[in-house]
Amino acid sequence: MNKRIKYAVTAAVCGLWIFGLSLLGLILPDGDVSLSERRKLAVFPKLSAESLSDGSFTADFEKYSADQFPLRDGFRRIKAFGEYFVFGQSDSNGIYLRDGYASKLEYPLNPDGVGHVAERMGYIYDTYLKDSGGKVYLSIIPDKNYFMADGIYPKLDYDELVSTLREGADFAEYIDIFPCLGLSDYYRTDTHWRQERITGAAKALAAGMGVEIECDYEEKALDKPFYGVYCGQSALPLEGEEMIYLDSEEMSQIEVYNAETGASEGVYVLENAGGSDPYEIFLDGPRSLMTLTNPNAKTDRELVVFRDSFGSSIAPLLAEGYRTVTLIDIRYLPSPNLKFFVDFEGKDVLFLYSTLVINNGETMR
Amino acid sequence: MVFSSIPFLFYFLPAVLICYFIAPKRLKNAVLLLFSILFYGYGEPRFLVFMIISIAQGYVLGLCIEKYRKNKRLKALFTALSCAISIGLLVYCKYADFFIRNLNALTGLSLPLLNIALPIGISFYTFQILSYTVDVARGSVEAQKNPIDLGAYVAMFPQLIAGPIVRYSDIAEQLKSRTHSLEKISAGARRFVIGLGKKVLIANQLAELISAYKASADGSVLFVWTYAVAYAIHIYFDFSGYSDMAIGLGKIFGFDFPENFNYPFISKSATEFWRRWHITLGSWFRDYVYIPMGGNRVSKPRWLFNIFVVWMLTGFWHGADWVFICWGLFFAVLLIAEKLLYLKKLERSRILAHIYKFLFVTVSFVLFDSASLGAAGRTVSQMFGFGGLTLVSTEAVYNLRSYAVILIIGIIDSTPLMKTLIKKAEEKPSGAVVLSIAEPIALLALLALCTGYLVDGSFNPFLYFRF
Repeated sequence: MNKRIKYAVTAAVCGLWIFGLSLLGLILPDGDVSLSERRKLAVFPKLSAESLSDGSFTADFEKYSADQFPLRDGFRRIKAFGEYFVFGQSDSNGIYLRDGYASKLEYPLNPDGVGHVAERMGYIYDTYLKDSGGKVYLSIIPDKNYFMADGIYPKLDYDELVSTLREGADFAEYIDIFPCLGLSDYYRTDTHWRQERITGAAKALAAGMGVEIECDYEEKALDKPFYGVYCGQSALPLEGEEMIYLDSEEMSQIEVYNAETGASEGVYVLENAGGSDPYEIFLDGPRSLMTLTNPNAKTDRELVVFRDSFGSSIAPLLAEGYRTVTLIDIRYLPSPNLKFFVDFEGKDVLFLYSTLVINNGETMR
Repeated sequence: MVFSSIPFLFYFLPAVLICYFIAPKRLKNAVLLLFSILFYGYGEPRFLVFMIISIAQGYVLGLCIEKYRKNKRLKALFTALSCAISIGLLVYCKYADFFIRNLNALTGLSLPLLNIALPIGISFYTFQILSYTVDVARGSVEAQKNPIDLGAYVAMFPQLIAGPIVRYSDIAEQLKSRTHSLEKISAGARRFVIGLGKKVLIANQLAELISAYKASADGSVLFVWTYAVAYAIHIYFDFSGYSDMAIGLGKIFGFDFPENFNYPFISKSATEFWRRWHITLGSWFRDYVYIPMGGNRVSKPRWLFNIFVVWMLTGFWHGADWVFICWGLFFAVLLIAEKLLYLKKLERSRILAHIYKFLFVTVSFVLFDSASLGAAGRTVSQMFGFGGLTLVSTEAVYNLRSYAVILIIGIIDSTPLMKTLIKKAEEKPSGAVVLSIAEPIALLALLALCTGYLVDGSFNPFLYFRF
């Protein structure tokens, strides 16, 4: 090739890239949210003498320019492709693939986080449960890394986590559901477990609390593929998967009271299937305080579950054995305020948390 | 603003290129100066005042030195005044707290610290102004009459914040008159993109590995060595990548900046290493400190003293901390030992030389990266099995495997292997054709990958900003 042409091509390639993307950025309108990352995008920062002099304008502008970059999702995929397939890295944005499953690395054990969860549980027991007349139970849900990371990827010291929490909550009877679960009981592209695969864990929990449930349900599938949280976070080309929920005549009669809105709704909020997180079909996603009332319950007993998002899909199954199941998420509802909303008298209490939330337990209030 | 950022690449750079190339020749330096001030003021505008003072004193005193060139006393006075202002500003901004802290420790006083934030690039532009006024005093360059041209030289954004340390004599002629050609623009763009790739794809990724090591509670000998090797490659790619981008940008604007790195990791001795690493800093200290002190044309004790002083200052230039001073003195000891004892033996045995090089490079950069001398001692003893660590840990294996390809690319690209292969291919007609087609494709791929990494907010520290 003629040298002049070569120079021209090199300069043109670089010039077109820089000027082309720059121009595209100026032309295209700014977006509000990133559906793939499930978050709001940064907006153009306020320009003032103060923001300029203290450097906050430039810091915010860096975020804005990255968030509003033209073809952002495509470039995120290029990065993920580069990390995973060009540079052979074991994870992309901390998310790794194994046997078709995606998971986020979670290590090392965070003693402060675990300790904080134990401390909060102790506070709740001392303040509300000691003299309430109910029984207190503790169960821990392993995250996917427990099954996926073995031998290759670093993972939490699960034994240490469980024993720390059990020691910290020695007032609670521990129900071990680890043996009830396997990797296939979780979504391939998401953090959570699959409702149709956790009936064994639900039965074990119920049995541990002295209640028998049958979990005889009809499986119903959403008509759209489910793209879990790791699809967007990793930007890796992950395939969608089927999301199934368990339904029955009795299930449809369970009344769910949402204390945040004061409204009553069903167990499944199917319109959320089209939203940014279809897992929110289960009990309408993250809520601070909900009560499930089951007119067809096998017992007259009442249960309070301190839970995270994993609890949304298992609580309806536990409701088979309880007249009421109250779900409390103390990440959103501070435990000192519970006295205004919840009566613990005579109720059984279950602390049910995933290892992911426990390891980042500083969020519990 | 850093080159490897979206605001620079897709906002600042297109704007400066358009304005620069549509500006008439006589205004090009003014455009460069204006954009350089914007570039510098973008992050922390309050630091502009230090740079403007430096440029102003350099300009005025440079003219005074030239005017009174024949009056030795006045010339010396103006030169000393300019040096004192330049060094004074540097000491005030960078070293004041170090001296106060040490004075407090020595005397038991409790003088308050000034807590001055370090203006970005002050170490670089101070050395440029020092070289300018000293060269004017020596008569090796004429004083610049046009303040815009001198301002453009000192503040020129491609080399302002991380070098190379361009001496006025290097580009005095180019400031007056320079050519812009497709060949230069193409070569500059190519060099810039390669530098961007070195910084974003290698250095930034290895920075994540280093962060993982520092955050880990799962220590092992393997992890410490992985960190030590990764840090050495990281700092080389970080700094040389930035120098490549600076040199590339300079070419686009018609300047030929001096080279700053020449494959330092293929060196067989510390002596050779410093001829290949941060070349413009090494030569600055040689020409403005070592040789004026007498260099090696003095008695042996004086020569040893000269070496210690130069390397102590080299270390101190990198940071106001005893760690950096010891880092400089570490090299002083090596250089003296090589010159007096074993340099010739090293040159005879390639294997021994490379083992020696590997050890001093890794150990020296562990020291460089340490928060304290005690921490450096702990890490080095852990490297050699004295830290009570296990040999291997899960995290070490995971990270080593995860970063293996990047480390291998880093090691290969630290040698002239690729350059040699490309040169050989270019010599053959068929190879030249293939390269002509492959080069723009490779550059495009690099740009796409780098853009992807920047858009997804990857880790983007820049080490030499603190100097």
